Amino acid sequence: MKRGLIAATAVAGMLVSVAACGSSGNSTDGADGFKGQKLTVWVMDGSNPAQWTEQVSKEFKKKTGATVDFQVQQWEGIQQKLTTALSEDTPPDVVEIGNTQTAAYAKAGALLDLGDLKKEIGSDWSDTFNKAAMADGKQYALPWYAGNRVVMYNKKIWADAGIKGTPKTRSALFKDLDTIKQKTQAEPLYLPGQNWYFFDGLTIGTGADLVKKDGGKWVSNLGDPKVAKAMDIYKTYQSFSTAPKNKDEATPQQAEVFAKGKTGAIIAMGYEAATAVKANPKIKDDIGFFTIPGETEAKPEGVFLGGSNFAVAGGSQKQDLAKAFLKVALSKKADAQMVKEVGWTPKSPDLADAAKGNPAAEAAAPAAAKSGGTTPLIPQWAAVENVPNPIKNYMTAVLSGKTPADAAKAVDAEINKRLAQQ
Amino acid sequence: MAVQLDDAVEKAAPRIGKGGAPPAGRGTGSRRSRVARGTPYLLLLPALLATAVFLGWPMVRNILLSFQTLNMKELIQHLTVWTGTGNFQEILGSGEFWRVTVRTIVFTGVNVVLIMVLGVLIGLLLARLGKKMRLTLSVALVLAWAMPVIAATTVFQWLFDSRYGVANWVLDQLGWHSMAHYDWVGTQLSTFFVITLLIVWQSLPFVALNLYAATTTIPKELYEAARMDGAGTWKVFTSVTFPFLKPFFLATTFLEVIWVFKAFPQIFAINKGGPDRLTETLPIYAFTEGVGNLHFGMGAAISLLTILVLLGMTAYYLRLTLKQEEDEL
Amino acid sequence: MKRSLAGRIWPNATAIVLAIGFVFPVYWMFNTAFKPTGDIISDVPVWFPVNGTFEHFVTAVNAPNFWTLAGNSVLVTVLAVGLSLLIALCGSFAISRMRFKGRKGILLTFMVAQMAPWEVMVISIYMIVRDADLLNSLVPLTFFYMLMVLPFTLLTLRGYVAAVPKELEESAMVDGCSRRQAFVKVVFPLLAPGLMATSLFGFITAWNEFPLVLVLNKEPAKGTLPLWLSQFQSQFGDDWGATMAAASIFAIPILILFLFLQRKAVGGLTAGAVKG
Repeated sequence: MKRGLIAATAVAGMLVSVAACGSSGNSTDGADGFKGQKLTVWVMDGSNPAQWTEQVSKEFKKKTGATVDFQVQQWEGIQQKLTTALSEDTPPDVVEIGNTQTAAYAKAGALLDLGDLKKEIGSDWSDTFNKAAMADGKQYALPWYAGNRVVMYNKKIWADAGIKGTPKTRSALFKDLDTIKQKTQAEPLYLPGQNWYFFDGLTIGTGADLVKKDGGKWVSNLGDPKVAKAMDIYKTYQSFSTAPKNKDEATPQQAEVFAKGKTGAIIAMGYEAATAVKANPKIKDDIGFFTIPGETEAKPEGVFLGGSNFAVAGGSQKQDLAKAFLKVALSKKADAQMVKEVGWTPKSPDLADAAKGNPAAEAAAPAAAKSGGTTPLIPQWAAVENVPNPIKNYMTAVLSGKTPADAAKAVDAEINKRLAQQ
Repeated sequence: MAVQLDDAVEKAAPRIGKGGAPPAGRGTGSRRSRVARGTPYLLLLPALLATAVFLGWPMVRNILLSFQTLNMKELIQHLTVWTGTGNFQEILGSGEFWRVTVRTIVFTGVNVVLIMVLGVLIGLLLARLGKKMRLTLSVALVLAWAMPVIAATTVFQWLFDSRYGVANWVLDQLGWHSMAHYDWVGTQLSTFFVITLLIVWQSLPFVALNLYAATTTIPKELYEAARMDGAGTWKVFTSVTFPFLKPFFLATTFLEVIWVFKAFPQIFAINKGGPDRLTETLPIYAFTEGVGNLHFGMGAAISLLTILVLLGMTAYYLRLTLKQEEDEL
Repeated sequence: MKRSLAGRIWPNATAIVLAIGFVFPVYWMFNTAFKPTGDIISDVPVWFPVNGTFEHFVTAVNAPNFWTLAGNSVLVTVLAVGLSLLIALCGSFAISRMRFKGRKGILLTFMVAQMAPWEVMVISIYMIVRDADLLNSLVPLTFFYMLMVLPFTLLTLRGYVAAVPKELEESAMVDGCSRRQAFVKVVFPLLAPGLMATSLFGFITAWNEFPLVLVLNKEPAKGTLPLWLSQFQSQFGDDWGATMAAASIFAIPILILFLFLQRKAVGGLTAGAVKG
């Protein structure tokens, strides 16, 4: 039986068969060889903006003669779907994988090494972007897009409170929020207790590591005073909000809360402005953005560069075509479109122009460049963020009055268990 | 829908076949009797075959998995890695499994008792109501019953949302101001409260409507006789309704134990087994460890232990039914 | 016997409170579905959709593949329930009417089969279907759904079959009918309400199934409605209006089916079960 054979030849067999597939159609342009073929690309719900999709589809067709089938995937149960799909004979050829998840899939032997392609098209990509597409020093994916959080504020409320300009340091921001609290009826900030990626940014800011090596094994480092310091900052932020301490920013959607016009600010991704406008078109002119300020003016607050990579499935039958697609989808032109259309952070210096005129992207850029970071880039990390994410529990516990040390102790075992898996 | 009402009915009207008339299928010639002997197996063949293929086979596969390490890597590369009883040792050695087991048993017990007691009360109420009122309540019950689980869990999340939920707003208006932004899924007990409310709400109609239907099968004379003896409502229930419907109560309790024990989307949707995994029951525990953490071998092992626990909880009824079967036919 | 005024009022009052309690979540789903987003997230609940809108329904129905998925759902559910009724009817007849070796063991098998942990068995089922090259097909889905409801259907039908007076069947046989004829002509018509009632459980189970279809049928056009329903709750936040509109659309067929079948079923049961 086919399955038995593959199992018997194990990893080595996998690699050989991958290599064999890779060498099937070697011509670099291959315009005729691909004609009439269809490439399946999995993108997550909300990832591919309309104009970008149209532009890339056309360009791909022109270059290769093949068509691309973008299959939009829902978030619910995506891990089960992606893992099982990658085990099949005809997996999707190209998949979008969140940058915190990429290392895990790479380690599982599911992805094709794209080192050559990176050299060819991505020599000027910023290192912060590219790091999250690597595992064990190899390029298992290519960065597609990433962005970071900014402060999205209601200009009218800030004006009502008599605040001029935007704060440049953390303490100035807290002072402004306090002014809003004193002088207006509005909730100064809407920040639920489990905005975990904002918290991750704060830990990047304090230089904390969420995991550490202990005798060759990765273990939780949540008890570190630097993590506690980041949590302390979060707690101060949260004290300006009556948002639930045990919910994340998605339930209810914070942009919809913001849209009611009774919230001074939220910590948000740039694209959330569109959600707010959809819920209440009148809010449009009141929306403003600024970089999350850090301790000093020189260095903005640490931010998590959240985003996605493109990877090619190791079992794909059309690997050359998949690479041809990536050349189109990650070209300068396509990347500029992503930055312009959604406001993502530019991944190379010459894309900065594309961000001009998009206030959210402009506010995001300084932090991304000076203090951007990610979650720990180890294959085991993805498991930690699985539902129920113990770090979210940690956050809620501290906000409800536990000391950071106690709260860390309560979830350390769970995190260690997850880090030990795989 | 009637719940395995046969026993109730049998008691009401013992079959004539048992005493006088010859049991069906006793043929005249030897050819016919051989055919007759084969008939039950032939009739059961499709059901047994389907069960073997679509439940038995996956079950065997599941048992095999429980002795393997099957994580993301093994699944994607089609590797088979045997670990012997490693998974079981890890589970049984952890305090977590035992805590979850105890919690599951208590949770199931509380819910089943609530469902049975309230269900019976509502069923009896239905019998007492006038025609119009009965129809109104029946329709309300049917609506709640028919609500698809996925839809129902979503609505309950929404009703108990801490900021915009109706529940908190009502409590606040009633003067309980500390409930204004109460976080229902913040503690173990309050989360279980919401889950229990949801499960009881969904399960009551089944019990209530069936109980009502079953009471209509009780001969009126029995009630009249009891009333004549001066029995009150409670006495009538214990001396007529309950004994008459005892098989119904047993069968329904058995089903509710299975259903509540296996409740999955309800618990998972409300707070994913949180806070701090404190509302995980065995099925959620198996799913989180297995499918959620891509640790499929471990999940399979937990699911097998879960079946054992459920078998233990229902052993009494299983034995009772088998014993009754001996007397029948 | 004439009851006191209080004795007449309290059952009705309780019934009204209960009816409201049971209906409210259903009502709230429809209410939210019709409200504009601004009214959904509001500090004071909006009790009636005064600014009623169909926009959420439009969003829900315009989601890609909606009609295909709806068709798949109906097909799979109806086939699964139909098949399980057919198979279960044969089996339940044997179990409740015939004496044979292994009967108890078979009965026990089905009782235990009701306990199967389907959510966790998803991965073994997936591996079987994958290795049989049957992914993205409605066929395995139909058969597995059939089996999810088969044990319950069989055990419940067994009760209904037993409730049909045996004498009826026997007298038909005395009149020269074969056993099969007796079953088709006499027993089956009496069983119809039982079949309808039993099918409700099957419909609601198959209609709701999510974990299995999620991994078996990943091609967008091969899914079922629960997959569609889940897309309005996303990583980036829940669109409550669209979610509730989708939930309403999802619930309506089952609500109608229940209201329709339940009356028949309860009525039929009462008629069929009282005997002698």
